[in-house]
Amino acid sequence: MRRLTLVLVMLWGLLAACATAAHELRPAYLEISQTGADAYQVTWKQPTMGDVAIHLTPHLSNGWLERAPSDQYASAGYLVRLWTIQAREAAPLDGRTVEIEGLADTITDVLVRVRPRGGAPIDTILRPESPRFRIDLGHRPPTALPAFLLLGVRHILTGPDHLLFVLGLLLIVRERWTLLKTVSAFTLAHSLTLAAATLGRIQLSAPLLNTLIALSILFIAPEAIRARRGGQSLTTRHPWVVAFVFGLLHGLGFANGLSTLGLDRGAIVAALLLFNLGVEIGQLAFIALVLALRRSFRLMAIAWPLPLQLSPGYAIGVLGAMWTLQYGALLVGAA
Amino acid sequence: MRSAWTAASIVALAAVVPGVASAHLMVSGMGPLYDGIDHFGLTPQDLLPVAALGLLAGLRGPPTARLLLGVLPAGWLIGGAVALAGAVPAAPVLAWATAGLFMLVGGLLAADLRAPRAAFGLVAAALGLLRGVADLAGAAPGTGAALSLLGMAASVFVVFALAASVTLPLTRLWTIVAARVAGSWLAAAGLLLAGWILRYGARVAS
Repeated sequence: MRRLTLVLVMLWGLLAACATAAHELRPAYLEISQTGADAYQVTWKQPTMGDVAIHLTPHLSNGWLERAPSDQYASAGYLVRLWTIQAREAAPLDGRTVEIEGLADTITDVLVRVRPRGGAPIDTILRPESPRFRIDLGHRPPTALPAFLLLGVRHILTGPDHLLFVLGLLLIVRERWTLLKTVSAFTLAHSLTLAAATLGRIQLSAPLLNTLIALSILFIAPEAIRARRGGQSLTTRHPWVVAFVFGLLHGLGFANGLSTLGLDRGAIVAALLLFNLGVEIGQLAFIALVLALRRSFRLMAIAWPLPLQLSPGYAIGVLGAMWTLQYGALLVGAA
Repeated sequence: MRSAWTAASIVALAAVVPGVASAHLMVSGMGPLYDGIDHFGLTPQDLLPVAALGLLAGLRGPPTARLLLGVLPAGWLIGGAVALAGAVPAAPVLAWATAGLFMLVGGLLAADLRAPRAAFGLVAAALGLLRGVADLAGAAPGTGAALSLLGMAASVFVVFALAASVTLPLTRLWTIVAARVAGSWLAAAGLLLAGWILRYGARVAS
């Protein structure tokens, strides 16, 4: 019976792994800047994984982006295209539509920034379900800030790797005070590295970072199983230490969403704060949901059989192992 | 006073339901698993009876809640699998059955009915089967649809458990009455659905 449960859990893990790639959700970035009276520069950055880039093509309804780019190059994890435009008509952007071809088939977002000369920038986020945006220079959207907040919430809630690590911690921690310390340590750690990486103080290649994050999940799974069996280890005694150490790594992962976008320094500080706040909101919502479910099971007086108690740990482990192999192979290939 | 609340809730529900009454699956842009979760969360025909059944199960106590926590998602999975296999009843049947289950579950909760546990299990199984079929009706079989179904069943499990945990610890009379009022709203919504089906056809409730 126990073996059967284990096999079922592993099958479920493999199925889930097929459905949820580890957190490769870096947004693409489109910036349209007015650099002179009639001069414009368009920058398009889209995430790449090694030599592979998802199919995303920006279009502007005035036809600017249908021309060949003025320059094109690959930076760390990104493909960058630049167009330098000399506009022939007045107000060439007002009323035009930005559309990202292929976005609807992805799980990524596109941050769009329009910077008219002497005016306030317009920021928005295009998503798979809303891949186009009409530029209205006379009506500035309320503010770009909620967009970054939502990006943070979405980033964590659609990131199974981060959520599974937090779930692993929740499986280990039982007491409220320890839970508070552990969540605080994780939050502090990932906030530190998120800020440092976004401001360019720390850099780690995407394949290495993804492999290390996958390893952190692979590490937390057996610890969760050990805790459930009543075993002792550094992790079960001092989970906040582990939360802090691996939180540093996960913060670098969160920073993937912002650090290489090319936002200017003033914009990136506000974006960073809101993105981090969004991540915290999403993380706390997930923790609240898990705790509410735990309370619910207690009220229902459910006595889970041991294999079922262990199954979340095994499922996390299967996914962690899968992602470690997947990203490890990419890391070896990139080296 | 109570009729005023009921009327207000019906108006609020009427404002919500038409926008989401189409039977096809949501596309969240975040993958089929999330599509299933979104679909469940944005479909009142799914969300409301599951929450109400959770409240009812909580009022009946832990053994009933435990039983239904297993039966309801399992019924949903089986219903979805049946739909993916192509065995989908006609739209009017699904629509009338949905309205009927709204009234049944809402009525049971409003009455705070005490019945054998197996009877509640049957209601949960019927609800799961019906809505599982309705949600996956017309979906193309494949891994994507299967994962959407998995997302829905997981959402059913979570929402039911959370709703049951609201009423399980209730002891004061007024709190129990408040939960029963929610049941009367659901029954009223069922009547409203039935009226719409008569007036506009089956599509509004599928």
